[in-house]
Amino acid sequence: MTYSALAWKNLVRRPVRTALTAGGVALAVAVAVSLGGFNLGYRQAIAGSIEQLGFQVMVMAKGCPYEAATLMLKGGSGLLYLPEEAHAQIRTDPDIEAITPIFIGIAEKQNVALDGTPAASAFTILSGVELDSFRAMKPWLKLKTGAGYAGGRWFAPDSTNEVVMGYEAAEYEQRKVGDTFYATVVPNGKVDSELHAFTVVGVLERTGAQDDGTVFLPLRAAQTMFGRENELTIIGIKLKEFNGIRMREFEGRWLKIPEVQVVSLEQVKGALVSLVGTAQTMVAAVAVIAILVAIIGVINSILTSVHERTGEIGVLKAVGAGRAQIFRLVWLETLLTSLAGAVPGSLLAAGGARLTDAALRHLLNIGVTQPLVRITPGLLGAAILGAVVLGLLAGIWPAGRAAGLRPVEAIRSGE
Amino acid sequence: MEKEILISGRNLRRHYRRGSETVKALDGVDVDVRAGESVCVLGPSGSGKTTLVNLLSALDAPTAGELTIGGRRVDGLSERELVGVRRGLLGYVFQQFHLIPTLTVAENVALPLLFLGRKAEPAEIARILEAVGLADRAGHLPKELSGGQMQRVAIGRALAVRPRVLIADEPTGNLDSHTGEAIFDLFQKTVREDGVALVLTTHNLALAARCDRTLTLADGRIVA
Repeated sequence: MTYSALAWKNLVRRPVRTALTAGGVALAVAVAVSLGGFNLGYRQAIAGSIEQLGFQVMVMAKGCPYEAATLMLKGGSGLLYLPEEAHAQIRTDPDIEAITPIFIGIAEKQNVALDGTPAASAFTILSGVELDSFRAMKPWLKLKTGAGYAGGRWFAPDSTNEVVMGYEAAEYEQRKVGDTFYATVVPNGKVDSELHAFTVVGVLERTGAQDDGTVFLPLRAAQTMFGRENELTIIGIKLKEFNGIRMREFEGRWLKIPEVQVVSLEQVKGALVSLVGTAQTMVAAVAVIAILVAIIGVINSILTSVHERTGEIGVLKAVGAGRAQIFRLVWLETLLTSLAGAVPGSLLAAGGARLTDAALRHLLNIGVTQPLVRITPGLLGAAILGAVVLGLLAGIWPAGRAAGLRPVEAIRSGE
Repeated sequence: MEKEILISGRNLRRHYRRGSETVKALDGVDVDVRAGESVCVLGPSGSGKTTLVNLLSALDAPTAGELTIGGRRVDGLSERELVGVRRGLLGYVFQQFHLIPTLTVAENVALPLLFLGRKAEPAEIARILEAVGLADRAGHLPKELSGGQMQRVAIGRALAVRPRVLIADEPTGNLDSHTGEAIFDLFQKTVREDGVALVLTTHNLALAARCDRTLTLADGRIVA
């Protein structure tokens, strides 16, 4: 016989009460773990997606930089454009290590999915890039090989009818190397849409970033197709030395161009993280309430149990149990109840992470493709430890009450 | 040679307040309990029998008087200190058995050893169960036992710490006369074989007559 065994037998004496109390703890822990996973996952997802852009600084047309950054990450309409000569001016900056001009246009998605999967959005992002500088900025981009993708290559820089498709774009459109990709666009200044046909010359391997959903074509071809010759959407820049001072110096040099603004992706990252700050605060408030309710539930359950067993506790004292031993026994009951809730609650959160991810994506429409909820062993360990600590705190009162009972009165009240 | 005095009480008083009234549950009782003797406390309900055995078993402290248990003065001690007096020296048997319902017979018997920090050796528990006639009931739960068997478990639990004094408050009160006799035989055997002192309260005069000494209480005082 051990104290733990005795405590466990006391708990299973009232299985429904114990299960309900542990269920409350499980729910609170599941909410807390999911929230922690979201905090962790969202920051990493934002950081990962921005990292995959390949540059630290963007030069773009004046407007809301965060909206533009979000459009870069997840697509959408309402893009602003800057004159191409800005690129020619800025590329001479001595602090620049690499620079690439990008033109982004939006085409209506061809609804040709064979499996009936609904489109993630009604548009396909067309990205006109200058091949050499773009590939230098994103050296990790690789072309798929194997059946259906043999002979895959990047488009010729001066071609007007060749595209390279991102992994998901190709999957959705059911396109392989050699197939035709159709894009319906409305050129600048025109009312009617135009249908363009391109040959798919390559399909990219999955990157986990927005590039997966993008169709790449030569910069000039994209500008011409959209009727925006000599215009760009953004200029991506990697500085030789990236820090706050260099960034401010660089910004100061190029704010002289009236139509452009210089945005650090660190700023964008901070802004995107803060965008969901309110939602996170609300979820945190729910988690705190759930935890408080669980603590009250544990205290109530153990207090009730102590009250019911007043006579029995008196008997334990009569047969030799001291204050510390009664305290230990009741405290162990609290601890076991907390653990019985914390472990399944953590597993529930870990098992339901994909569901939580999908729900958050649906609610928040965040422009990242990486997992939004990351439940790590460390997070699970911290949640279980936290539940144990809170359980021990919750147990102090009932355990103290039980320990303080005088045996004669306790036995008499139990008879 | 005179036997060792294990419990000695002089002018023991236990008064308590009930509303505006002072209840004198015990009012100046002298008592000695020696090793290897059986002492029966007789008296009508409300005479102070249970109060006396609660004091003698260090479950309660007197409001006045001198009480020595196992050579240690216990009057004026706190509950925390009384625990130390009870442990290992005293074994207590209740009228209502008070077994822990979720524990088996063997676990109930071994329970006091947990609080003493001693490992319950299976052979020792088996020996106790054998002594109380429950060797074949070790794995049973209390609800599967008769009243007499439950009281035997309670006696086994009291004996597990090898006490020097066994205190029993109306141990046969909830049993039929035949079973009560058998339980009393078990007490007598323990006194005889282990040299344990026995203090018990009862209404049963036939059982009281089998004890070495009888104390009769009335209104908190010893009258015979």
